[in-house]
Amino acid sequence: MVYMVIAYALVWAGLFAYLAFIALRIRAVRTELAAVEELVREHEARQE
Amino acid sequence: MSTLSTLRLLCSQVLAILGKDIRYELRSKQTWLGMGLFALLVFVIFNFAFDLRVENRAAVAPGALWVAFVFASLLGLGRTIAAEREGGSLDRLLLCPVDRRAIYLAKLLGNLLFIGVVELVALPIFAALFSVPLFSGELLPIVLLGTLGVAIIGTLFSAMTAATRARELLLPLLVFPLIVPVVIAAVRATGALMIAAPDEPPWLGLLTAFDVIFFSLALLTFSYVIEE
Amino acid sequence: MAVINKTGAPLQEAAAPMRRPTLPIASLLLGALAFVGMMISIWVIFLYAPTDAIEGLSQRIFYFHVPVAWLAMLSFVIVALGGAVYLWREDERWDWLALAAAEAGAIFTTLTLVTGSLWGRATWGTWWTWDARLTTSLILWFLYIAYLMLRSYLGKTSTSARAGAVLAILGVIDVPIIYESVNWWRTLHPAAEIGTPGALPPSVVLVLMLSLASFTLFYCVLLIQLYQLVRLQHLTSRLRARLQVVD
Repeated sequence: MVYMVIAYALVWAGLFAYLAFIALRIRAVRTELAAVEELVREHEARQE
Repeated sequence: MSTLSTLRLLCSQVLAILGKDIRYELRSKQTWLGMGLFALLVFVIFNFAFDLRVENRAAVAPGALWVAFVFASLLGLGRTIAAEREGGSLDRLLLCPVDRRAIYLAKLLGNLLFIGVVELVALPIFAALFSVPLFSGELLPIVLLGTLGVAIIGTLFSAMTAATRARELLLPLLVFPLIVPVVIAAVRATGALMIAAPDEPPWLGLLTAFDVIFFSLALLTFSYVIEE
Repeated sequence: MAVINKTGAPLQEAAAPMRRPTLPIASLLLGALAFVGMMISIWVIFLYAPTDAIEGLSQRIFYFHVPVAWLAMLSFVIVALGGAVYLWREDERWDWLALAAAEAGAIFTTLTLVTGSLWGRATWGTWWTWDARLTTSLILWFLYIAYLMLRSYLGKTSTSARAGAVLAILGVIDVPIIYESVNWWRTLHPAAEIGTPGALPPSVVLVLMLSLASFTLFYCVLLIQLYQLVRLQHLTSRLRARLQVVD
């Protein structure tokens, strides 16, 4: 019984923590992407 | 071009690259000496790690032999493409109008030859050190097929990892999981030579099947791995 | 490699695919469906499924263990398929899919090993035996880790993608061979845990199917998210590389 509770808790906690982690990473990459795009725009403005 | 002349061309290319590698190895002697000494050291370590008495010798000896062979092989296999890269000759080799498969075949044969020589030296020493009767003609196909399996996978992956920073670390991590069937089959077949077991599964058949499947796969995919 | 193009194609062109809205509605709907499915299956697992006469409550781990293990294997097939199609078509989206599936698969294989180990402790009294199923799962885990390490060492290049594809193709063919060889090596294998479905009471099969379906849905959601992540990462690093070339 104890093992089962541990197993379920582990699986659920693991999966949801992972999903949250992915969401955080996506957000971080999006921010980075926006920053890089900003750089690109600045660069083009300088060229013109 | 007919199939025959294509085949002949491939053979001559393979022999040319193989000859170059053998000449290089004969001059430097790095790989052979290193692999051989390493195999001997593994035997010594195993002697201390397992207390090899008469009653458990037959159970441990095949494992010790194959662990030494596999580890020593990986030591040499890691150098296959990396040595070319360090010498700066990899680009030249790739620029040659040579079929990629010829490069793979030559490297595979070279590795098989180097590992084979080391094994030929190490086997009698192993038999003497552990006083096990390992001199039978039946051992030869097992050693050959097992080594071939390790070399097929190892040569392919040494090309893959040559470009990475941590190639000594990465190569065993990639190769060991894939060669599990080879190790199991080779160890069990060697063990069956020492103690005749009643109904063993066809280990040599498994080894052969593994070698055939992975040899064809490696030939098909090598060009993707080596291209820069 | 057409990634870095020095001929001065406008940078906006590279940035264009990122502007496209990523259809969050479909993804959200799928997520909601997966969530509902998971809730129903939890309720069903604990309250509807009959308690096993011999194994007791710990048998319920199976409604988790089986879907997770199934997804771990499915994931490796997706990695290999993605890799094969990538080698064939040279379309990097397939490689992104393979990379996303590898990451999800590594997680699911870890969960398979953990839940299986817990069940083994409860039922067999031991955390681990070198049975064919267990050994093969462990090797699968090593293959996932090796794949992810290889990809991270080689960076976001086409060399990395091709090497990963070759590793995955070799692996997907090797895994059945490993299973067979371990089976031969250890001839004592415990009777197949799932066995023939007909031997199980229908309610157990129903719960298992429901659980499988909802876990697969959840996996789809995860895979889509991971795919987005991998895609954005690649686009970002490409844009950065281009910026450096232009400068």
